[in-house]
Amino acid sequence: MTGGVLVQSTLPLPLVRRGKVREVYAVDDATLLLVASDRVSAFDVVMREAVPHKGAVLTQLSAFWFARLKSVMPHHLLTADADEIVARVPTLAPHRDELHGRAMLTRRATPVPFECVVRGYISGSAWAEYQQSGTLAGEPMPAGLVEGAQLDPPIFSPATKAEQGHDENVTFDHLVQGLGRLTAERLRGASLALYEAGRDYAAQRGIIIADTKFEFGTTSDRDLIVIDEILTPDSSRFWPADRYQAGRGQPSFDKQPLRDYLADLKKQGTWNGEAPPPPLPADVVHATSERYRDAYRRITGTELE
Amino acid sequence: MSWVSPLSARYASPAMQALWGERRRIGLWRRLWLALMQAQKDLGVGIPDAAVNQLRSHLDDADLEKAAEYERRLRHDVMAHIHHLGDQAPAARPFIHLGATSAYVTDNADLVLMREAMQLLLGRIGAVLVAMGKVARRYRALPCLAYTHFQPAQLTTVGKRTTLWMQDLALDAEELLNRIATLRFRGVKGTTGTQASFLELFDGDHAKVAELDSRVSRAMRFDHVLPITGQTYTRKLDGQVLAVLSGVAQSAAKFATDLRLLQHEGELLEPFESEQVGSSAMPYKRNPMRAERMTSLARFVIELEGNAWHTAAAQWLERTLDDSANRRLVIPEAFLAADAILVLATNVAAGLEVREATIAQHVAKAMPYLATERLLMRGVKAGGDRQQLHEVIRTQSLEGSEGLLDRLARAPEFKRLAVRASAEELDPAAYVGRAPQQVDDFLDRVLPDLMRSIQAAAPAAAAAEVEV
Repeated sequence: MTGGVLVQSTLPLPLVRRGKVREVYAVDDATLLLVASDRVSAFDVVMREAVPHKGAVLTQLSAFWFARLKSVMPHHLLTADADEIVARVPTLAPHRDELHGRAMLTRRATPVPFECVVRGYISGSAWAEYQQSGTLAGEPMPAGLVEGAQLDPPIFSPATKAEQGHDENVTFDHLVQGLGRLTAERLRGASLALYEAGRDYAAQRGIIIADTKFEFGTTSDRDLIVIDEILTPDSSRFWPADRYQAGRGQPSFDKQPLRDYLADLKKQGTWNGEAPPPPLPADVVHATSERYRDAYRRITGTELE
Repeated sequence: MSWVSPLSARYASPAMQALWGERRRIGLWRRLWLALMQAQKDLGVGIPDAAVNQLRSHLDDADLEKAAEYERRLRHDVMAHIHHLGDQAPAARPFIHLGATSAYVTDNADLVLMREAMQLLLGRIGAVLVAMGKVARRYRALPCLAYTHFQPAQLTTVGKRTTLWMQDLALDAEELLNRIATLRFRGVKGTTGTQASFLELFDGDHAKVAELDSRVSRAMRFDHVLPITGQTYTRKLDGQVLAVLSGVAQSAAKFATDLRLLQHEGELLEPFESEQVGSSAMPYKRNPMRAERMTSLARFVIELEGNAWHTAAAQWLERTLDDSANRRLVIPEAFLAADAILVLATNVAAGLEVREATIAQHVAKAMPYLATERLLMRGVKAGGDRQQLHEVIRTQSLEGSEGLLDRLARAPEFKRLAVRASAEELDPAAYVGRAPQQVDDFLDRVLPDLMRSIQAAAPAAAAAEVEV
């Protein structure tokens, strides 16, 4: 079982970045430590309460996919085993329990300055773009698509990485201009292959991975590798396959209890949808935690250890 | 029921069948007659507007039954259609086919059809490359046994092997692109290729005859015209086109044969429908029947090519008619069969089942053998005698791979040198060389340009099946 709930880590290493959900520390010039907290956000607002086991699910699920998809694309993970991490970075020994399950020791790479999004179903901002202009990632799409429709073949839709606010979708040509054709082709090919492999595997286990976002980096010997987290509920839209029905918005596999609760509050007018977030009842937090663990269980076929 | 070609009944796609169908051919003949009449009129021949207009309004409504009635009487297919068209467009009747010989419509229509059919095949190759590209990308670094002499050799990756098949098809696509771009029209040449009848029509004006030839060719969307013909275009063109189709068949057959071998090994399987029956007698069987059909049809296409070369070789002087019956069979059937092969290849490549666990088992079994090569190198570096160590490995290997490395470590020749296999030496990924990088280079550096060319040259219908 993982240690307690973690809202935010504080480790004796230089902090590189603190994201919505995870902290990134520098171990040395070649190595990073990524720690996924149990923080959760909904409607772009980070909740005050943490969701037990969420950080471990994100980390262990990523580790599962990295191993499974390594023949598609090399990745940055060195180990996600807390004991191995502590053996390699002895200063972390007092924090072993805090790291257990949720930390990844990774190769350090220079991030590619674009998000590599793949959409296998039309939803969210892509649905909004399609409704407005009949396009997706700037490319014309067939008429008559309904919300949640499957896109076959899936669409590669890169985006810039915005420091604040929402990422901005860009065209493939924009990616070519920014990175050169060869790297752009490679990112597109790898993103589609990773997504399709993940989509097919998850589909057999009752989860639709509707879309996802990959991040890539360049190593010191100029290899492209996949970094950050992959094919997790936080970097993707997970939908329950048995409740899928094209032509409407889909329930979320992981965050639906939380979203339902917050949507109710908004409807009643007791929350305006902006920070600060409202307090969450224990049963909502518990149900959300269960959903994350269920996603892990279904995809990996094992219990979160 | 009387005989029906299996190519029509079972194998070829509706698009390719429609392309070679009678209705499409007669539609082309009528367009050729229209192009000729329009150009003649524009160059000063006294043809009334009504003639051209009536012909233009009957391009696609030939009554094949009525034309057949004429053919039974006249024993000549082109004349039968001229009479039938004359019935439908009486104002045009006196001017249809003016100065032309049958080969004007038959040969030129065949060239239009071959070009369109090549474009369709090009789009199909594009679709196969897309499907195979996904396999190559997904398994770019998945180690598997490579075989030489169909005996286990060193390792490669599943993705790298896929690019062997892809590169062959890419070379075929380049040939097709070249043939499509350079195919020359027969044009307007007359009975023996001298354009004599047209020179007479234009009262000895050579410039107008040359202009007629190029105007009609442009109207049929050909940039290049053969400057020299007999009554027909040189039958060498048919040989060149069928050679490309034979090349496509060869590539597909190599892919299908490899797949049959690998399906026997249980590593790679063609798609199997849930209700498909493998064998009527042995219900547990799962046969690579699509791959087998591909090789079967490929043999047919490869052999058809020879007909075209023989026809080219056998033509006497300005023409003989011994080409006709053979071409009527060989050209459409080569395209129909090549089409069927590529549809199968797409279907198989898109549904390939990669048995990772079986592949890993086979690799694991071979790993001890593979590790001996590095062991030998390290043994020599540590001061051993290469010939002596080689002999130890050879004799120990004869007893099988199980426990081989332990036996070698215990052998005095290696024990003395303190050389034994390390964990890294048993990691298959260390034995695949540049296979993943070669896959990347091929997919990202070579293929995108070709796919863009395919999209540009294949017609919309075929291009719709190609996703770049």
